[in-house]
Amino acid sequence: MFETIATPLFGITLSLFAYMFGVFVNRKLKNPLANPLIITMVTIITFLVVFDIPFAVYKSGSDIISLFLAPVTAVLSVAIYRQREILKHALVPVISGTLAGSLASLASITWMCNLLDLDPVILGSLLAKSVTTPIAIAITEQFGGIAALTVASTVISGLLGNLLAPVLGKVFFVSDPVAHGVGIGSCSHALGTSKALELGEVQGAMSSIAISLSGICTVLLAPLFF
Amino acid sequence: MKILIQLALIFGICIAGDIISALLPFAFPGSVISMLLMVFLLLSNLLKEATIYESSNFFLKNMTFFFIPAAVSVMEHTVLLKSIWWQLLLVNLVSLLACFVASSWTVMIVSRLLLHWRKKKHV
Repeated sequence: MFETIATPLFGITLSLFAYMFGVFVNRKLKNPLANPLIITMVTIITFLVVFDIPFAVYKSGSDIISLFLAPVTAVLSVAIYRQREILKHALVPVISGTLAGSLASLASITWMCNLLDLDPVILGSLLAKSVTTPIAIAITEQFGGIAALTVASTVISGLLGNLLAPVLGKVFFVSDPVAHGVGIGSCSHALGTSKALELGEVQGAMSSIAISLSGICTVLLAPLFF
Repeated sequence: MKILIQLALIFGICIAGDIISALLPFAFPGSVISMLLMVFLLLSNLLKEATIYESSNFFLKNMTFFFIPAAVSVMEHTVLLKSIWWQLLLVNLVSLLACFVASSWTVMIVSRLLLHWRKKKHV
Protein backbone atom coordinates (compact mmCIF):
# COMPACT_ATOMS: atom_id res chain seq x y z
CA MET A 1 0.00 0.00 0.00
CA PHE A 2 2.65 2.50 1.10
CA GLU A 3 4.92 1.72 -1.87
CA THR A 4 2.10 2.69 -4.24
CA ILE A 5 2.07 6.32 -3.06
CA ALA A 6 5.84 6.63 -2.65
CA THR A 7 6.28 8.40 -6.01
CA PRO A 8 7.20 12.05 -6.65
CA LEU A 9 3.52 12.68 -7.37
CA PHE A 10 2.78 12.29 -3.65
CA GLY A 11 5.00 15.19 -2.56
CA ILE A 12 3.66 17.45 -5.30
CA THR A 13 0.02 16.65 -4.52
CA LEU A 14 0.50 17.11 -0.77
CA SER A 15 2.18 20.49 -1.43
CA LEU A 16 -0.69 21.59 -3.70
CA PHE A 17 -3.43 20.68 -1.22
CA ALA A 18 -1.52 22.13 1.74
CA TYR A 19 -0.95 25.39 -0.19
CA MET A 20 -4.63 25.64 -1.10
CA PHE A 21 -5.41 25.23 2.60
CA GLY A 22 -2.78 27.85 3.54
CA VAL A 23 -4.17 30.42 1.12
CA PHE A 24 -7.73 29.66 2.28
CA VAL A 25 -6.88 30.18 5.97
CA ASN A 26 -4.94 33.36 5.15
CA ARG A 27 -7.93 34.82 3.27
CA LYS A 28 -10.30 33.91 6.11
CA LEU A 29 -8.16 35.38 8.89
CA LYS A 30 -6.82 38.46 6.99
CA ASN A 31 -3.91 38.72 9.41
CA PRO A 32 -0.27 39.18 8.31
CA LEU A 33 0.73 36.64 10.97
CA ALA A 34 -1.39 34.00 9.20
CA ASN A 35 1.21 33.78 6.44
CA PRO A 36 0.22 31.22 3.75
CA LEU A 37 3.76 29.83 3.50
CA ILE A 38 3.98 29.21 7.24
CA ILE A 39 0.52 27.59 7.37
CA THR A 40 1.43 25.35 4.39
CA MET A 41 4.75 24.39 5.98
CA VAL A 42 3.13 23.48 9.31
CA THR A 43 0.36 21.52 7.53
CA ILE A 44 2.84 19.42 5.51
CA ILE A 45 5.16 18.74 8.45
CA THR A 46 2.18 17.75 10.64
CA PHE A 47 0.86 15.44 7.90
CA LEU A 48 4.24 13.73 7.45
CA VAL A 49 4.72 13.29 11.21
CA VAL A 50 1.16 12.10 11.96
CA PHE A 51 1.12 9.51 9.14
CA ASP A 52 4.75 8.60 9.79
CA ILE A 53 5.81 9.23 6.17
CA PRO A 54 9.60 9.38 5.64
CA PHE A 55 10.88 12.82 4.64
CA ALA A 56 12.67 11.21 1.66
CA VAL A 57 9.30 10.22 0.14
CA TYR A 58 8.08 13.82 0.30
CA LYS A 59 11.44 15.10 -0.92
CA SER A 60 11.33 13.09 -4.17
CA GLY A 61 8.32 15.22 -5.15
CA SER A 62 9.36 18.50 -3.57
CA ASP A 63 12.69 18.39 -5.43
CA ILE A 64 10.71 18.69 -8.65
CA ILE A 65 8.91 21.80 -7.31
CA SER A 66 12.27 23.32 -6.32
CA LEU A 67 13.48 22.96 -9.92
CA PHE A 68 11.05 25.74 -10.82
CA LEU A 69 12.77 28.31 -8.59
CA ALA A 70 15.01 29.22 -11.55
CA PRO A 71 12.16 30.20 -13.92
CA VAL A 72 10.39 31.93 -11.00
CA THR A 73 13.47 34.13 -10.52
CA ALA A 74 13.80 34.71 -14.27
CA VAL A 75 10.24 36.04 -14.60
CA LEU A 76 10.89 38.63 -11.86
CA SER A 77 12.33 40.43 -14.89
CA VAL A 78 8.77 40.90 -16.17
CA ALA A 79 7.89 42.68 -12.90
CA ILE A 80 10.88 45.02 -13.36
CA TYR A 81 10.01 45.59 -17.04
CA ARG A 82 6.47 46.64 -16.08
CA GLN A 83 7.86 49.38 -13.79
CA ARG A 84 10.39 50.72 -16.33
CA GLU A 85 8.79 54.20 -16.57
CA ILE A 86 8.91 54.93 -12.84
CA LEU A 87 12.36 53.43 -12.63
CA LYS A 88 13.66 55.76 -15.37
CA HIS A 89 12.73 58.86 -13.32
CA ALA A 90 14.15 57.74 -10.00
CA LEU A 91 16.95 55.44 -11.17
CA VAL A 92 19.92 57.01 -9.34
CA PRO A 93 18.26 57.43 -5.91
CA VAL A 94 16.70 53.95 -6.09
CA ILE A 95 19.97 52.22 -7.03
CA SER A 96 21.89 54.15 -4.32
CA GLY A 97 19.22 53.25 -1.78
CA THR A 98 19.20 49.52 -2.50
CA LEU A 99 23.01 49.49 -2.53
CA ALA A 100 23.15 51.21 0.88
CA GLY A 101 20.42 48.91 2.20
CA SER A 102 22.23 45.76 1.06
CA LEU A 103 25.50 46.96 2.59
CA ALA A 104 23.77 47.82 5.89
CA SER A 105 22.02 44.45 5.93
CA LEU A 106 25.18 42.44 5.19
CA ALA A 107 27.32 44.46 7.65
CA SER A 108 24.78 44.26 10.48
CA ILE A 109 24.29 40.49 9.98
CA THR A 110 28.05 39.87 10.02
CA TRP A 111 28.47 42.11 13.08
CA MET A 112 25.60 40.47 14.98
CA CYS A 113 26.77 36.94 14.13
CA ASN A 114 30.26 37.73 15.43
CA LEU A 115 28.82 39.40 18.52
CA LEU A 116 26.63 36.38 19.31
CA ASP A 117 29.52 34.04 18.46
CA LEU A 118 27.53 32.05 15.86
CA ASP A 119 29.02 29.36 13.63
CA PRO A 120 30.34 30.49 10.17
CA VAL A 121 27.86 28.07 8.55
CA ILE A 122 25.04 30.07 10.18
CA LEU A 123 26.55 33.36 8.99
CA GLY A 124 26.66 31.90 5.47
CA SER A 125 23.02 30.92 5.74
CA LEU A 126 21.87 34.32 7.09
CA LEU A 127 23.82 36.79 4.92
CA ALA A 128 21.30 36.74 2.09
CA LYS A 129 18.17 36.68 4.24
CA SER A 130 16.95 40.18 3.30
CA VAL A 131 16.54 39.35 -0.40
CA THR A 132 13.95 37.33 -2.26
CA THR A 133 14.03 33.58 -1.54
CA PRO A 134 15.25 32.17 -4.90
CA ILE A 135 18.24 34.53 -4.88
CA ALA A 136 18.83 34.00 -1.14
CA ILE A 137 18.92 30.21 -1.61
CA ALA A 138 21.34 30.54 -4.53
CA ILE A 139 23.70 32.69 -2.41
CA THR A 140 23.50 30.33 0.58
CA GLU A 141 24.34 27.34 -1.62
CA GLN A 142 27.44 29.19 -2.82
CA PHE A 143 28.62 29.61 0.77
CA GLY A 144 27.76 26.02 1.73
CA GLY A 145 25.09 27.26 4.17
CA ILE A 146 21.87 25.56 5.25
CA ALA A 147 19.06 26.48 2.80
CA ALA A 148 16.33 25.74 5.36
CA LEU A 149 17.84 28.26 7.78
CA THR A 150 17.94 30.86 4.98
CA VAL A 151 14.29 30.25 4.15
CA ALA A 152 13.31 30.47 7.83
CA SER A 153 15.15 33.80 8.18
CA THR A 154 13.80 35.12 4.89
CA VAL A 155 10.27 34.39 6.09
CA ILE A 156 10.97 36.02 9.50
CA SER A 157 12.38 39.14 7.77
CA GLY A 158 9.43 39.27 5.41
CA LEU A 159 6.89 38.90 8.20
CA LEU A 160 8.62 41.53 10.37
CA GLY A 161 8.73 43.88 7.36
CA ASN A 162 5.09 43.22 6.55
CA LEU A 163 4.08 43.96 10.15
CA LEU A 164 6.35 46.95 10.76
CA ALA A 165 6.31 48.66 7.30
CA PRO A 166 3.73 51.39 8.14
CA VAL A 167 5.22 52.06 11.60
CA LEU A 168 8.84 52.18 10.34
CA GLY A 169 7.99 55.01 7.94
CA LYS A 170 6.66 57.16 10.80
CA VAL A 171 9.32 56.27 13.37
CA PHE A 172 12.21 57.06 11.01
CA PHE A 173 10.57 60.15 9.38
CA VAL A 174 10.37 58.65 5.87
CA SER A 175 7.89 61.01 4.19
CA ASP A 176 8.82 60.26 0.55
CA PRO A 177 6.75 57.33 -0.82
CA VAL A 178 9.61 56.33 -3.18
CA ALA A 179 12.02 56.08 -0.24
CA HIS A 180 9.48 54.22 1.86
CA GLY A 181 8.91 51.67 -0.91
CA VAL A 182 12.61 51.10 -1.52
CA GLY A 183 13.15 50.64 2.23
CA ILE A 184 10.41 48.04 2.50
CA GLY A 185 11.51 46.09 -0.59
CA SER A 186 15.19 46.13 0.40
CA CYS A 187 14.67 44.71 3.86
CA SER A 188 11.67 42.44 3.43
CA HIS A 189 11.36 41.40 -0.26
CA ALA A 190 8.00 40.11 -1.60
CA LEU A 191 6.32 39.67 1.79
CA GLY A 192 7.00 43.30 2.70
CA THR A 193 6.06 44.38 -0.82
CA SER A 194 2.54 43.03 -0.39
CA LYS A 195 2.14 45.52 2.48
CA ALA A 196 3.81 48.30 0.44
CA LEU A 197 1.17 47.74 -2.28
CA GLU A 198 -1.51 48.37 0.34
CA LEU A 199 0.19 51.62 1.39
CA GLY A 200 0.15 52.99 -2.16
CA GLU A 201 0.94 52.39 -5.84
CA VAL A 202 4.28 54.21 -5.74
CA GLN A 203 5.37 52.38 -2.58
CA GLY A 204 4.37 49.07 -4.15
CA ALA A 205 6.17 49.67 -7.45
CA MET A 206 9.35 50.90 -5.74
CA SER A 207 9.29 47.98 -3.35
CA SER A 208 9.05 45.51 -6.29
CA ILE A 209 12.01 47.14 -8.01
CA ALA A 210 13.98 47.09 -4.75
CA ILE A 211 13.43 43.30 -4.49
CA SER A 212 15.31 42.69 -7.72
CA LEU A 213 17.93 45.42 -7.28
CA SER A 214 18.82 44.48 -3.70
CA GLY A 215 18.99 40.86 -4.88
CA ILE A 216 21.62 41.82 -7.44
CA CYS A 217 23.52 44.06 -4.96
CA THR A 218 23.57 41.27 -2.38
CA VAL A 219 24.80 38.69 -4.92
CA LEU A 220 27.70 41.00 -5.77
CA LEU A 221 28.51 42.19 -2.22
CA ALA A 222 27.89 39.07 -0.09
CA PRO A 223 31.22 37.38 -0.98
CA LEU A 224 33.01 40.38 0.61
CA PHE A 225 31.44 39.52 3.98
CA PHE A 226 31.98 35.76 3.97
CA MET B 1 0.76 24.91 -27.56
CA LYS B 2 0.98 28.62 -26.65
CA ILE B 3 1.89 27.80 -23.03
CA LEU B 4 4.38 25.15 -24.16
CA ILE B 5 6.17 27.69 -26.36
CA GLN B 6 6.25 30.18 -23.46
CA LEU B 7 7.67 27.57 -21.09
CA ALA B 8 10.26 26.51 -23.69
CA LEU B 9 11.40 30.15 -24.00
CA ILE B 10 11.56 30.76 -20.22
CA PHE B 11 13.32 27.45 -19.47
CA GLY B 12 15.70 28.04 -22.39
CA ILE B 13 16.69 31.42 -20.92
CA CYS B 14 17.24 29.71 -17.54
CA ILE B 15 19.59 27.16 -19.14
CA ALA B 16 21.43 29.97 -20.92
CA GLY B 17 21.80 31.69 -17.53
CA ASP B 18 23.26 28.52 -16.00
CA ILE B 19 25.74 28.15 -18.87
CA ILE B 20 26.87 31.79 -18.51
CA SER B 21 27.17 31.30 -14.73
CA ALA B 22 29.43 28.27 -15.25
CA LEU B 23 31.64 30.23 -17.66
CA LEU B 24 32.06 33.25 -15.35
CA PRO B 25 35.36 33.40 -13.41
CA PHE B 26 33.47 34.34 -10.16
CA ALA B 27 30.43 32.86 -8.42
CA PHE B 28 27.10 34.37 -9.52
CA PRO B 29 23.79 32.43 -9.40
CA GLY B 30 22.58 31.30 -12.84
CA SER B 31 18.97 32.16 -12.00
CA VAL B 32 19.89 35.82 -11.39
CA ILE B 33 21.80 35.89 -14.69
CA SER B 34 18.72 34.59 -16.50
CA MET B 35 16.66 37.33 -14.80
CA LEU B 36 19.09 40.02 -16.02
CA LEU B 37 19.24 38.39 -19.46
CA MET B 38 15.46 38.50 -19.65
CA VAL B 39 15.32 42.18 -18.55
CA PHE B 40 17.74 42.93 -21.37
CA LEU B 41 15.71 40.92 -23.91
CA LEU B 42 12.48 42.68 -22.85
CA LEU B 43 13.96 46.19 -22.86
CA SER B 44 15.60 45.66 -26.24
CA ASN B 45 12.28 44.36 -27.61
CA LEU B 46 13.90 41.09 -28.74
CA LEU B 47 11.37 39.41 -26.46
CA LYS B 48 7.87 40.85 -26.17
CA GLU B 49 6.05 40.71 -22.84
CA ALA B 50 3.00 39.30 -24.67
CA THR B 51 5.07 36.35 -25.93
CA ILE B 52 5.57 35.04 -22.39
CA TYR B 53 2.60 36.74 -20.71
CA GLU B 54 0.50 33.79 -19.39
CA SER B 55 3.42 31.72 -18.09
CA SER B 56 5.28 34.60 -16.46
CA ASN B 57 2.03 35.76 -14.84
CA PHE B 58 1.47 32.22 -13.55
CA PHE B 59 4.92 32.11 -11.94
CA LEU B 60 4.67 35.65 -10.51
CA LYS B 61 1.21 35.10 -9.03
CA ASN B 62 2.01 31.68 -7.53
CA MET B 63 5.58 32.49 -6.49
CA THR B 64 5.05 31.43 -2.87
CA PHE B 65 4.11 27.86 -3.88
CA PHE B 66 7.63 27.20 -5.18
CA PHE B 67 9.18 28.07 -1.79
CA ILE B 68 7.27 25.32 0.03
CA PRO B 69 9.97 22.59 -0.37
CA ALA B 70 12.64 24.87 1.08
CA ALA B 71 10.35 25.85 3.98
CA VAL B 72 9.42 22.22 4.74
CA SER B 73 13.08 21.19 4.77
CA VAL B 74 13.24 23.18 8.05
CA MET B 75 11.99 19.95 9.71
CA GLU B 76 15.36 18.36 8.97
CA HIS B 77 17.06 21.06 11.05
CA THR B 78 14.81 21.34 14.13
CA VAL B 79 17.68 20.72 16.56
CA LEU B 80 19.74 23.56 15.09
CA LEU B 81 16.77 25.96 14.98
CA LYS B 82 15.80 25.20 18.58
CA SER B 83 19.34 25.94 19.76
CA ILE B 84 19.60 29.40 18.11
CA TRP B 85 16.02 30.69 17.82
CA TRP B 86 16.48 33.89 19.88
CA GLN B 87 19.78 34.75 18.14
CA LEU B 88 18.02 34.25 14.82
CA LEU B 89 15.20 36.63 15.79
CA LEU B 90 17.63 39.24 17.14
CA VAL B 91 19.86 39.17 14.03
CA ASN B 92 16.77 39.48 11.84
CA LEU B 93 15.30 42.42 13.73
CA VAL B 94 18.55 44.41 13.96
CA SER B 95 19.44 43.90 10.29
CA LEU B 96 15.88 44.73 9.22
CA LEU B 97 16.05 48.10 11.00
CA ALA B 98 19.57 48.83 9.69
CA CYS B 99 18.59 47.94 6.14
CA PHE B 100 15.34 49.95 6.20
CA VAL B 101 16.95 53.11 7.59
CA ALA B 102 20.00 52.92 5.30
CA SER B 103 18.01 52.36 2.10
CA SER B 104 15.13 54.79 2.67
CA TRP B 105 17.34 57.60 3.98
CA THR B 106 19.81 57.15 1.10
CA VAL B 107 16.95 57.49 -1.39
CA MET B 108 15.74 60.70 0.27
CA ILE B 109 19.22 62.24 0.56
CA VAL B 110 20.28 61.33 -3.01
CA SER B 111 17.04 62.58 -4.58
CA ARG B 112 17.33 65.85 -2.64
CA LEU B 113 20.95 66.27 -3.76
CA LEU B 114 19.99 65.60 -7.40
CA LEU B 115 17.18 68.16 -7.19
CA HIS B 116 19.59 70.68 -5.70
CA TRP B 117 22.17 70.14 -8.49
CA ARG B 118 19.55 70.38 -11.21
CA LYS B 119 18.30 73.69 -9.79
CA LYS B 120 21.86 75.06 -9.67
CA LYS B 121 22.39 74.16 -13.34
CA HIS B 122 19.28 76.12 -14.34
CA VAL B 123 20.37 79.23 -12.37
